[in-house]
Amino acid sequence: MNGRFRQWTIQEDAAKMLEYAAEQRIETVWDRLAKQQPLCGYCEMGLSCRNCTMGPCRIDPFGEGPQKGVCGADADVIVARNLGRMIAAGASSHSDHGRDILETFHALAQGKTTGYQITDEAKLFRLAAELGVPTDGRPINEIALDLAEALLEDFGSRKEQLGFLGRVPEVRRNLWKKLGITPRGIDRENVEMLHRTHMGVDNDYVNILLHGLRTGLSDGWGGSLIATELSDVLFGTPTPKMSQINLGALKADHVNIALHGHNPMLSSVIVQAAQDPEMVALAREKGAAGINLVGLCCTGNEILMRRGVPMAGNHLMQELVIMTGVLDAMVVDYQCIMPAVVDIARCFHTRIITTFDKAKFPGAAHISFEANRAYETGKEIVRQAIEAFSLRDPKAARIPVEPMAMMTGFSVEAILQALGGTPEPLVAAIKDGAIRGAAGVIGCNNPKIPQDYGHIVLCRRLIENDILVVVTGCSTVANAKAGHMVPEAADLAGPGLRSVCKALGIPPILHMGSCVDNSRILVLAAALANYLGVDIDQLPLAGAAPEWYSEKAVAIGAYVVASGIFAVLGVHPPIFGSKNVVQLLASDLEQVVGAKFAVEPDPERAAGLIRRHIESKRKGLGLPFVEPESIPMP
Amino acid sequence: MKTVFVNIERCVGCKQCEFACAVAHSRSKDPVQALYEDPLPRKRIHVEPGPVFSTAFPNKCRHCDPAPCMQVCPTAAIYRDREQDLVLIQPAKCIACAMCAMVCPFDVLTYYPLGNGGPARVVAVKCDGCAERVRKGLVPACVETCKVGALLYGDINELVQAGRLREATAVLVAATAVAPPPSPVPQPVALWRSGGTAISKLRSVQER
Repeated sequence: MNGRFRQWTIQEDAAKMLEYAAEQRIETVWDRLAKQQPLCGYCEMGLSCRNCTMGPCRIDPFGEGPQKGVCGADADVIVARNLGRMIAAGASSHSDHGRDILETFHALAQGKTTGYQITDEAKLFRLAAELGVPTDGRPINEIALDLAEALLEDFGSRKEQLGFLGRVPEVRRNLWKKLGITPRGIDRENVEMLHRTHMGVDNDYVNILLHGLRTGLSDGWGGSLIATELSDVLFGTPTPKMSQINLGALKADHVNIALHGHNPMLSSVIVQAAQDPEMVALAREKGAAGINLVGLCCTGNEILMRRGVPMAGNHLMQELVIMTGVLDAMVVDYQCIMPAVVDIARCFHTRIITTFDKAKFPGAAHISFEANRAYETGKEIVRQAIEAFSLRDPKAARIPVEPMAMMTGFSVEAILQALGGTPEPLVAAIKDGAIRGAAGVIGCNNPKIPQDYGHIVLCRRLIENDILVVVTGCSTVANAKAGHMVPEAADLAGPGLRSVCKALGIPPILHMGSCVDNSRILVLAAALANYLGVDIDQLPLAGAAPEWYSEKAVAIGAYVVASGIFAVLGVHPPIFGSKNVVQLLASDLEQVVGAKFAVEPDPERAAGLIRRHIESKRKGLGLPFVEPESIPMP
Repeated sequence: MKTVFVNIERCVGCKQCEFACAVAHSRSKDPVQALYEDPLPRKRIHVEPGPVFSTAFPNKCRHCDPAPCMQVCPTAAIYRDREQDLVLIQPAKCIACAMCAMVCPFDVLTYYPLGNGGPARVVAVKCDGCAERVRKGLVPACVETCKVGALLYGDINELVQAGRLREATAVLVAATAVAPPPSPVPQPVALWRSGGTAISKLRSVQER
């Protein structure tokens, strides 16, 4: 591989496209990061506050300049307020996505949609029973309507706790109650965070951060979980299947449509519309061999998990995929879609099509998504892509690599089924030490870290040391491209994990979905804790976000830690301006919720931290363990 | 001799000095109105990234004496102002030949249209030491806006002495094994910089 772009990416397809970009002088995210250097230290340390117009203010971290904002807030308050608002923005993103799914589900229950159906009836019945919606002898639409109404209540402020909290071990629920961080309403916690961080409301950094945990919990056990569960009901609960990944998933002779963003609502309908005989015939008429769909980011993860639609790439591939010259349309919903894609698409024939009225991009075509005519909208979008195909320069095709195979579809239900219907085999393997524990490796790409290096190296070290890994979001793409996500990858794992994977025919790294599907990881962790009769923080589990960039990742970090799982971040969050906030999050929090954060950019060292943590939890449970301190730190 | 001294380890790369500099050299001296002026006021201090993330250096005219730019200027547009010991440019005489840029040891000469009462014309633009402000008893705009003490205005010998004292302490600590003084960089800054250093290391390891 050309070494020129190695500090930017470790992926061959990305490096080849970057060479082309350099040749054509097309600016990418890495160029823009270089132009932003140096980044503002106040902002990177969390020491700037622009919440009011008495300021904006900044605190001098060297201690000689201003130590208080105009209002009197010190570094602790300013850092905590900023972090609180990041959590609220992240939790709001996941939760608004959840609400969109819920509203479509609500409309479906009333017969007001096209292109949707209840695909997983059994899951609908399970959810209804869980939330106390009567099911006996009632028509399915009535049950769905009552379930939708019950979940809509979760967004408001009329409840003492969210509906799905029954899944959380009782001891953890009691802890949350004692700390005053039980999530009550999804919108409520976010609004309250914005209120608390207004000037002159919550001036106690500990109190702000505790509410930050509650805000995160309203996402993980609320907004994200609702998004996952209802998406399963609507589009089917994922089951294991094979698919393909990287820029090689594009086909030079097909109409290529990339589905990018996070919400599966429209993309799932486009998957149907692309198979419509009318559309296929139209594509052939224009000289294409067929219609090929590829996913990007979490919309890609959603349709990969459920439909096996191949993925073109993760976050940092979104600009590069356009440069292949064979992408006819990029259909976007929302979140993590760089405004830059519109600029790059101007250099090619690619049409960028926006679909949500809350997410418009100047320069893109906007086709408004409406649940009552979703299928027609889906067909219109496919038609536009076919039109763009006719404008393609056939000589400009640059598909740089062959696709890699990967296995996907590991919902909690699918994992339990693979285990024979009970967590017992997994628990037994953990107990005897064949599997030391499990880690969720999640989150984004960040151009500061060489693309996918953090994900790939961390996951490789974990499986080599018999730690089962589950991935979502961008980590999925990174690991699949590295060949980590096929059953044969069991050979890369340590002897214990290898034998378990081979017995079950599964890869050592399991794909659990999109970033809202991190809620699946929470549910699995809670189920294991309940099965063993312990709290989640006693389990040999860890989470990591080696290349995170987004506010959503901060919300995820908050709910993971508040649920009792140790979390390692690969990029420094903007908190280092306050020693007290760092002390709380990286140390003292362990005495409060049984888990804490660590920051470690080097994935080799992050793997060491996770291994030590998992062994210390094994020790706590009285399982065979290796002395944590004896595990070397690179 | 009074000058703007850079306390390198203090710079956090916020670039507020750049903005304050441009505003100080606008007609309105107002941060909002300045953005609507034609020609746009330009910064004369340049915060450039260091070799690793989380490091930066604010670079500007050091007002050398003798000044290489002044020596090569064919029209004598560049002159020494003895009142404040500054190297200044007379825009009316400047022919934008860029000779000064070629010899400047710090690469701080830039070329932009400047109005100065007459029609705007591209001329050499660089730090003028905020001579006007200093005459009014103010410190240069970049120094005023720097809240971390990376830019200091004062007598060069006094400013250098502060560093000399710190080095002396370090040497004596090493020689006599007395308890070392606290780090000149407080913990929050050290932790922030360690993040930048770690990421830069990952990148450079990959490059090899």
